[in-house]
Amino acid sequence: MTGVRRAWARLRAWRRIRFTFGGLVFSLGALAVGFAAMNTANNLLYLLLGAMLGLIVVSSWLSEQAIRGLDVRRHTPHGVTVSHEVRIQYEVINHKRRLSSLAVELREQGLPVAAFLPHVGAGEETTARSANRFVRRGIYPLGTVTISTSFPFGLFLKERDVEIPGELVIWPRHDRALRAPAPGAGKSRALGIALTRAAGTRGDYRGLREYRPGDDPKDIHWRSSARFEVPVVREYDRDSSESLWICLDLAGQPSEESEALVEVTASLAARAQAEGKRFGLVAGGRTVPPAAGAGQLERVLDALARVDFRLDAPPPAPPVDPLRCILVSLAGRDAAAYADAFVGAPPVREEAA
Amino acid sequence: MRITLLHRRLTILMGIAGLVAFAAGAGFEPISAAVAFVALVIALFWQPSHRLSVRLDPAWLPVAGLLVARALWHVFVVGDDVVIPVVDLLLLLLCAESLRSLDAPNDTRMYALSFALLLASTAYRPGIFFALAFVTYVTLATVALTLGHLRRKAQRHRIPEPTADRALLGTTAGLGTVVLVTSVLVFLAFPRVTRGFAGRGDVPVTQVAGFSDQVSIGEFGSQIYANPQIVLRVEFPDGVPPNVNDLHWRGRSYDRFNGIQWSHSLPHPPSNAPRAWYNDRWQGPVIEQRIFAAPLEARVLFTLHPTLRLDSDRRIAPMLDQAGDLLYFGSAAPAYTAWSMSAPPPRDVLRAAPEGGLSRNVSRYYLQLPPLPDRILRLADSLTTGLTNQYDRAAAIERYLRTFTYTLQLPRTAQEATLDWFLFERRAGHCEYFSTAMVVLLRAVGIPARQVNGFRGGQWSDFGEYLAVTQNQAHSWVEVWFPGFGWVPFDPTPAASGSTTAATAATAWFWPGRFLFDGLQHRWNKWVLDYSHENQFGLLDWLQGYASRESAGARGGRTGGALPWALITLALALTGVVYGLLRSGRGHPAETRAYLRLLELCRRAGLIQTRAVGPLELVERLEARAHPAASPARRLVELYLRARFAGQALDEREHRALAEALSRARTHLRPA
Repeated sequence: MTGVRRAWARLRAWRRIRFTFGGLVFSLGALAVGFAAMNTANNLLYLLLGAMLGLIVVSSWLSEQAIRGLDVRRHTPHGVTVSHEVRIQYEVINHKRRLSSLAVELREQGLPVAAFLPHVGAGEETTARSANRFVRRGIYPLGTVTISTSFPFGLFLKERDVEIPGELVIWPRHDRALRAPAPGAGKSRALGIALTRAAGTRGDYRGLREYRPGDDPKDIHWRSSARFEVPVVREYDRDSSESLWICLDLAGQPSEESEALVEVTASLAARAQAEGKRFGLVAGGRTVPPAAGAGQLERVLDALARVDFRLDAPPPAPPVDPLRCILVSLAGRDAAAYADAFVGAPPVREEAA
Repeated sequence: MRITLLHRRLTILMGIAGLVAFAAGAGFEPISAAVAFVALVIALFWQPSHRLSVRLDPAWLPVAGLLVARALWHVFVVGDDVVIPVVDLLLLLLCAESLRSLDAPNDTRMYALSFALLLASTAYRPGIFFALAFVTYVTLATVALTLGHLRRKAQRHRIPEPTADRALLGTTAGLGTVVLVTSVLVFLAFPRVTRGFAGRGDVPVTQVAGFSDQVSIGEFGSQIYANPQIVLRVEFPDGVPPNVNDLHWRGRSYDRFNGIQWSHSLPHPPSNAPRAWYNDRWQGPVIEQRIFAAPLEARVLFTLHPTLRLDSDRRIAPMLDQAGDLLYFGSAAPAYTAWSMSAPPPRDVLRAAPEGGLSRNVSRYYLQLPPLPDRILRLADSLTTGLTNQYDRAAAIERYLRTFTYTLQLPRTAQEATLDWFLFERRAGHCEYFSTAMVVLLRAVGIPARQVNGFRGGQWSDFGEYLAVTQNQAHSWVEVWFPGFGWVPFDPTPAASGSTTAATAATAWFWPGRFLFDGLQHRWNKWVLDYSHENQFGLLDWLQGYASRESAGARGGRTGGALPWALITLALALTGVVYGLLRSGRGHPAETRAYLRLLELCRRAGLIQTRAVGPLELVERLEARAHPAASPARRLVELYLRARFAGQALDEREHRALAEALSRARTHLRPA
């Protein structure tokens, strides 16, 4: 039985045929014409029936030709903010020698909008894009791309699946209007910790590393880049006293409020990045070491896209004095454990500010 | 050209093709056909703006309402054929849709309307023009459906319309050929298992002049106009008889004459001769005739006399009536095969035949006479005085009448339309006068005779290799009873005129291309309209014979069918498909296959709803549930991620670990 199921599953992945509404009406019409032909022995009705079946045969053959011999590669954006358009790009190569593929759609499983290719010539390569919007941040695994077509007559939809593992990272919103945060609920200033950006705060040279999007191009070490044949940047130590640690407390039920909390955290990071500050993130077990720049914001947003709220989540454990951190937490956390040093205001109030 | 405009024009052309198909079968009311045609041609070259289109919309409704009311009137009040009013309504809707702006999404409606016209035309018996319209329609539909689909998809995805280049149009039109070939194959192979109990039947041929179940000599004041409508197409499978253009195609016989009209007495006594008389005493060889007849109002089967045997297709049921006439039940156009003797017995044999032979009861039917002027009786006596046998007496009357003149000009007055006037004053008339006169004169001298009508002659078509018999060849002649030999035909109509006049021949065959056209029409009738299970068996026999010959030729004389090889090929193809299915999915590396398998197992176990779950997330979910499969799953996923994304190929030991992890996971994930 398992073998049959497996064969059926493979058959489904290999090819699927579904009626369109027009195809259903057409097929029922063909049945009716066939029935009438048999009842009336009218030979011309047999001729019409033959023509209708011929259209079905041609439809089946052409749709098969349209979706076979196509090689698909997917290119996804590194990360896209929630409710923004996610444009997935597909490179499609038609390996067929003579036949073009027309009216082909590429659809990700679970995504409503498909990419459309009006024409891919024989042996040609072309690109298509789909644009979808996500309403929740998170990691969306991508696996099956369905190549489908209802060419040439729109009577039947023929599909085949292609497994292309991948994922989409949907960042939380990070454009919420916030009041300026104060680490340690303002007590840090009293401790004499300098939080403002100071000129020439670049620390000791630490080493070289591969370039990441968002790094300052001025830091590229051209000689090493030429040697390794990949962009390489210089990395410097910075004084931890200049870093802003944002701690997201993941204790709580997943809810709209918890999502808003993630957005507040992302907005704090975006604000820090806009102000040129070094900032780091502690969220659950994840820690993003402090750094500055757009690349750091992306790393933080990536981490925030992955966080999950749980009632039994442990409190954030920043590698620095908690008083130097900005805590973003749902109401209910035992604030005494943090010597009520953190910003504990509900995120909604942050937004309202 | 814009694809939108091209698509619209194609759909309009489909409508015109549907209109032609219908006109080829049922005809049209001239006004509605002309208006529709003009509207469709206008729509080909002019499309209203969106604004004008919206304004035009309300104007169609009242007209459509009127046509609907008219159709209802036809159905419920007049009780007339409803198809024509309904088709008028279809044409109106087609015109209304054609004259919409280009942005109107009405292509599906236009497909449906044009197809409805095509469908309606099949209810009749359309000629060869239907074939042309059908081929055109299918080709246009293939291109139009393709362009319409591309157009709709472009609109849906908000991309510029693709261009309809010549290559696309040519390829798509070529696909129309595939559709047509499929259509022909289905047509030929679809089993004809029913007799069509719900059939509408065929439309009788309109008669201007020609065969009629009524024989009368009373008409006057005009002339018989030519009617070149072909009513019989006859093939001779065993060879064409030498006198093929002068054969008598016997239809109906009449025994009762009232002075003006002939009729068939009811009830009628059995008066047909035993088949053995014809079989043994008439002259051979036997002529086989494959006859394709047009449906006439009189349900008569025309054959050469005497008919020894008759086979018909299943759509009609032939019957032999008491007088020996061949009639049929059914509404289809008859297609049948008859076998007949080629010539009557020799004259000397007939001269020696005894007289009488019919029972008194039967004789009175064939010796019946209306009140006649004495001079007709005297004429009969004078023509036969001194002749000692029945054959000579009949031949003398025949010879006498052949001295008269044949004309299609009818008498001017009622008095001139009588038999007496024909015999003694006018001495000219058409075939019914001659045959009537001979029967009356024969009966006057006590010889049983009857009036027979049918067709005489025809035109042999070298193109189609068949004899075409038109309504112009309608004819009447005489049958005389000879004991021991049956009914022997005599034809008193002057031979010089034949069965047709010069005017008839001129109007029937003035167009040289008519042979070609009628040959096509005959093939259309034979292979399409009258195609039956007999044809299917014949085709199958031919194919089997062909395969046997091919096989014998290829194997040096050994015979064998191609069927086993075809079955072996089919079996191999199916095996290949199944093997391909089982093999599919093995194109992935081992770690990916193992991971996909794990995903599938988790989905079946209800741990995930879809396979759209990331590898680590999958493991986390298993761990969160403290599922026993979590540990092997984590191991499998680690190996998968390392091989898939870190580019580190697994060694043999790790492959074994991968397989072991999958096996352990499967143990825990399989339903109990």
